[in-house]
Amino acid sequence: MPTPAARALVLGGCAWLLAASAPLTGARGGAQVRGVAASPAVPAVRATLDRYCLGCHNDRLRTGGLSLASLDPSAVGDHADLWERAVRKLRTREMPPAGFPRPDDSTYRATAEALERALDAEAERRPQPGRVAVHRLSRTEYANAVRDLLGIDVPAPALLPADEPDQQTFDNVASVLSVSPALLENYLSAAYRVSRLAVADPSAPATEEAYIVPLALSQDERVSDDLPFGTQGGIAFRHQFPAAGDYSITVTLRRQLYRYIIGMGEPHQIDVRLDGVRLRRFTIGGAGRGMTAPESFAGNTQGEPQWEVYMHTADEGLRLRVPVSAGSHEISVSFVQRFWEPEGILQPPQRGFARTTNELYHGHPAVDTVAVSGPLALAGGSKDPQPRTAKALFICRPPQAAERDCARRILERVASGAYRRPVTAAELDTVLRFYDAGRADGGFDTGIQRGLERVLAAPSFLFRVVREPAGTAPGAVFPLSDLELASRLSFFLWSSVPDDALRRDASRGRLREPGVLQAHVRRMLADPRSRALVDSFALQWLKVGKVAGVVPDVDAFPEFDENLRRAMLDETRLFLADQLASDRPVPELVTADYSFLNERLARHYGVAGVYGSHFRRVSFGGTVNDGVRGGLLGQASVLTATSYPNRTSPVLRGRWLLDTVLGAPPPPPPPDVPTLEQASPGRVLNQREQMEAHRKNPACATCHVRMDPLGFSLEQFDALGQWRVATAAGPIDASAMLPDGSRFDGARGLRAFLAGHQDEFVRTFTEKLLAYALGRGLEPADMPAVRRIVRDSAGQHHQWSSIVNGVVASVPFRLASSERAGS
Amino acid sequence: MMASRKSIPRRTVLRGLGASLALPLLDGMIPALTAQARSAAAPVHRFGVVYVPNGMVMESYLPATQGASFELTPTLQALAPFRPQTTVLSGLDCIPSPGRPGGAHAKASTRYLTDISPPTSETWLDAGISVDQILADQLGAQTQLASLELAIENSDTAGACDVGFACAYTNTISWRSANTPLPMQHNPRAVFERLFGDAGSTDARARLSRIRQQRSVLDSVREEVAGLNRDLGPGDRGKLTEYLESVRDVERRIERAESQSGRELPVLDRPSGAPASYEDHVKLMFDLEVLAYQLDLTRVITIMLGREFSGMTYPQVGVPDAHHPVTHHAMEPEKIAKVAKINAYHVQLFAYLLERLRATPDGDGTLLDHITLMYGTGLSDCNAHSVTNVPVVLTGGGAGWLKGGRHIRYNNLPLANLHLTLLDRFGVHRDRLGDSTGRVDDRQLAGL
Repeated sequence: MPTPAARALVLGGCAWLLAASAPLTGARGGAQVRGVAASPAVPAVRATLDRYCLGCHNDRLRTGGLSLASLDPSAVGDHADLWERAVRKLRTREMPPAGFPRPDDSTYRATAEALERALDAEAERRPQPGRVAVHRLSRTEYANAVRDLLGIDVPAPALLPADEPDQQTFDNVASVLSVSPALLENYLSAAYRVSRLAVADPSAPATEEAYIVPLALSQDERVSDDLPFGTQGGIAFRHQFPAAGDYSITVTLRRQLYRYIIGMGEPHQIDVRLDGVRLRRFTIGGAGRGMTAPESFAGNTQGEPQWEVYMHTADEGLRLRVPVSAGSHEISVSFVQRFWEPEGILQPPQRGFARTTNELYHGHPAVDTVAVSGPLALAGGSKDPQPRTAKALFICRPPQAAERDCARRILERVASGAYRRPVTAAELDTVLRFYDAGRADGGFDTGIQRGLERVLAAPSFLFRVVREPAGTAPGAVFPLSDLELASRLSFFLWSSVPDDALRRDASRGRLREPGVLQAHVRRMLADPRSRALVDSFALQWLKVGKVAGVVPDVDAFPEFDENLRRAMLDETRLFLADQLASDRPVPELVTADYSFLNERLARHYGVAGVYGSHFRRVSFGGTVNDGVRGGLLGQASVLTATSYPNRTSPVLRGRWLLDTVLGAPPPPPPPDVPTLEQASPGRVLNQREQMEAHRKNPACATCHVRMDPLGFSLEQFDALGQWRVATAAGPIDASAMLPDGSRFDGARGLRAFLAGHQDEFVRTFTEKLLAYALGRGLEPADMPAVRRIVRDSAGQHHQWSSIVNGVVASVPFRLASSERAGS
Repeated sequence: MMASRKSIPRRTVLRGLGASLALPLLDGMIPALTAQARSAAAPVHRFGVVYVPNGMVMESYLPATQGASFELTPTLQALAPFRPQTTVLSGLDCIPSPGRPGGAHAKASTRYLTDISPPTSETWLDAGISVDQILADQLGAQTQLASLELAIENSDTAGACDVGFACAYTNTISWRSANTPLPMQHNPRAVFERLFGDAGSTDARARLSRIRQQRSVLDSVREEVAGLNRDLGPGDRGKLTEYLESVRDVERRIERAESQSGRELPVLDRPSGAPASYEDHVKLMFDLEVLAYQLDLTRVITIMLGREFSGMTYPQVGVPDAHHPVTHHAMEPEKIAKVAKINAYHVQLFAYLLERLRATPDGDGTLLDHITLMYGTGLSDCNAHSVTNVPVVLTGGGAGWLKGGRHIRYNNLPLANLHLTLLDRFGVHRDRLGDSTGRVDDRQLAGL
């Protein structure tokens, strides 16, 4: 680690730090203004303000609590936050309000640009990186860290409770990640559990884990790429087996409301596999004897007793016992596909009451739950095969290596990884004390387990802190140490701890050498762990995670099933991952003309020729649904997340577009005024008329004139994102007119409109990415950094990597302000 | 599920999967295991809160008649068997502080037990300690867990949080301090582990050995935090102090667990997960709640049957519409009827809890006799976001102080006043709480 003296750089020193790491800085234009006072733009700005703004924002009226009369545009540094707000209002054309005299387009732009230049120059002179509070590892980060440190695959929700996402929808915001006694206990339990899994502790108590197939997941066809072709229904999952031994696998089949097992009319074959190898094939069904209950009246009347018993208990024998080695293994259960259907009229999928009561006597049975329990008996000691994960952990083993020495090596390695820095001798002694106690209790492995448990409970693991170099003056700016920077980088790109390569360079102080950090960024983006940018950043930014919990109204959408819900999220994930992996320009997220579909989703979209559960890339080329699919706006996940369970909401969609795509979120509704949606009784019929009625209320109008037209342009997508041209009320009017007079029609028009507003989109994307990278909400003082990232990435057409590099090189990412005295 | 290697006759199965959710064995077979000092003269007094979101249809909920002759409205119908232990309170208000607009739902849940209106705060938190946590400070000294916070909805899928307010405001009603919301646990298995530890068994020896290990980890963690603190600024130190306080809380609980480890517990199986059906889930959580009171593992429990702003659907009672939007019913009779159905359904589930409490002997009476249980929501008329006359129903015998069977109407008093009176009844005396202006007349509640 560099000495405090070396780290306590004076402000001038920061420039080399940024320059050294960023060839991007060369791309800056010549328009840089050093002193604003010298700028000829100031009188023009003043004149614009006087003419268009001072009518309301003067010292007497102070509309919205703001007067611009005495603010001096030649000294923007004095009130940078107010000026940043003004810039945003100008950039989004929110002010002056509709109906008041507005500047022409070029004046708008010139004024905003002049102010931005002044603000940026000011930020250059006096960087204000802000600071990030002590950061507790989020649940996702914890699970990823455990995976990367110990090779253990435990789904995050099984370890810890969910973190509260903040309104900006990221779950990694430091100031919101609080600590409570209950949470601490969860962390202690997780440390205990994970450490036992890591050493494959043979004394692990038997546990049962139940894997439940969602009720509404249709199991009439192959349901997963993890199941073989020729299968039907079922489930595949990875299970972490705590120790080598015998385990029991129990399959329960789906029952209907009256607890009849469905599909028992004929025999069916059901396979249970471990790591793709079939363990057993069961045959079940078709063995009910005696008179059946009438199929449509089950529950009111009964069949003969022996038949009744069979219908309730036919799956009792679906249980097997199998020896498994410790570690993560895949279990799958599925039916053998039946290539015939019973004669008769093809029935539509059943929903609601019909679905819960019909036992589908001659239909497909379905898996309800697969429970794995054990170990029931342990494998013999010497034959106990070491799981792969434990092999990676035990880099040495007594008696080949001296016991305590080996323990020291193992634990030092894990602790440095977990603490993201070299461990001190005192820290290692602490951990070894736990090893010693465990060694005395139960031998070498138990010792390692206790040592690990202590490492995983350590504040140095659970908290990310930025230490202020000794003697930093209050409010002074200082750079993060290389190790702190490495941590910030890996949590940004991987939601996890740095790997050995990054940590090695950081502890040698090499991250400041030219090109080293960018090389790491390049390497890390290419690594599969960068999927975290999709799963954590992008899905949260787009707020589509909500789709996992929506329950569409079954009457309005009888065709909705779990298969569709999964396909919606998979499409968005695959699309984003593809954009990231091919390092596409960010605006393509909106304008792309392709996406990823499987049969279920293609049917939903009305796209022909896509068969099977596997997703593949589909180019729409402007032919499908009037060319509206492709890119994020045509994705069912987005369209569903911005709807109510039984109808669309132009307000929700408009708000989503303003916030997520255009970066101009409307303020919260005024107190005690029902929002437009709430005031309208939810008829799909006259939404447009109602909206217009509500715009008569000026308190509502300010925001709704911006939100609603955007939302209405997507009205040709229903609440699940299906294409429609009319509703019960008649043809859909998807035309939109914005307050500035721009007009467009439908989703296609919206895409063209957004393509013309790329600057806003790129700025919004950058703001969200920077906030996510820092783990804090952005402040007005961060806007110069955002603009610089946007400017510097223009040369690379705002490819993902160029924006990521810009974030990594930015002032708030690399520097921190010392806490002000007393705050 | 624990597959214990020896067979124990009094074995209870808490399954999260299907029909067998109840804990039939505990029904009345084992009296509540309250600590040493209890006698008929001084029964243990417990506190509980059951919160329902999104206000109510007041016409269907609020009895028109006051006093002992009040009528059980359609919403309250399910409380008929518990009428003598039920007091309906009206005229209590949760009015936001002036100058803090917006966030009707965030405030409804946050204010219900804190009496504080948070300011607009998306990326930070600012409320206050909640009544249950004030009590937890006091009552928690006697039990392993100071309090339990339970929920049904998973905050995993929290997409809808009130505009301008972090999700914590709508996801919890329990606050340890102004900026420490207590996450509400929805997974029955996690609750089980919190109650019985992660030894995976309620077996005394296994638990004790695990408890000792945990203690040594905590001791050494505390030293480490002290070292870490030296290098940090004051704000960051604050965050770690929060952590240290948590460490102390947990240590205290572990000490208590250690001292009580000889106590006989029924041998239980851990539930596998959350049941798929809402109703099963609620009942399982109530079962765990009763279990925790019964074994005196804690005396303070809060539960949210839905988070505030919830969009849950209730097709099982004929409401396939999302809860929050349908509450803005715009006076359409059909929608009003749907909201009323949800309100009545929640009360019906609440009656299940009362039934279980009444079925569990405790000292000279039952658990229901020895609890003060508050049921309600932080908005009254959901359609208008009304903050006056919020629904509050007190149930239980309050260990002798609370007399039920009445409807008491107050003349627009802050809910905080009731909170102060409740605290008094637990021996915690505070001058003020949030926007309190005094106390309510506790003699009236005691039926004097």
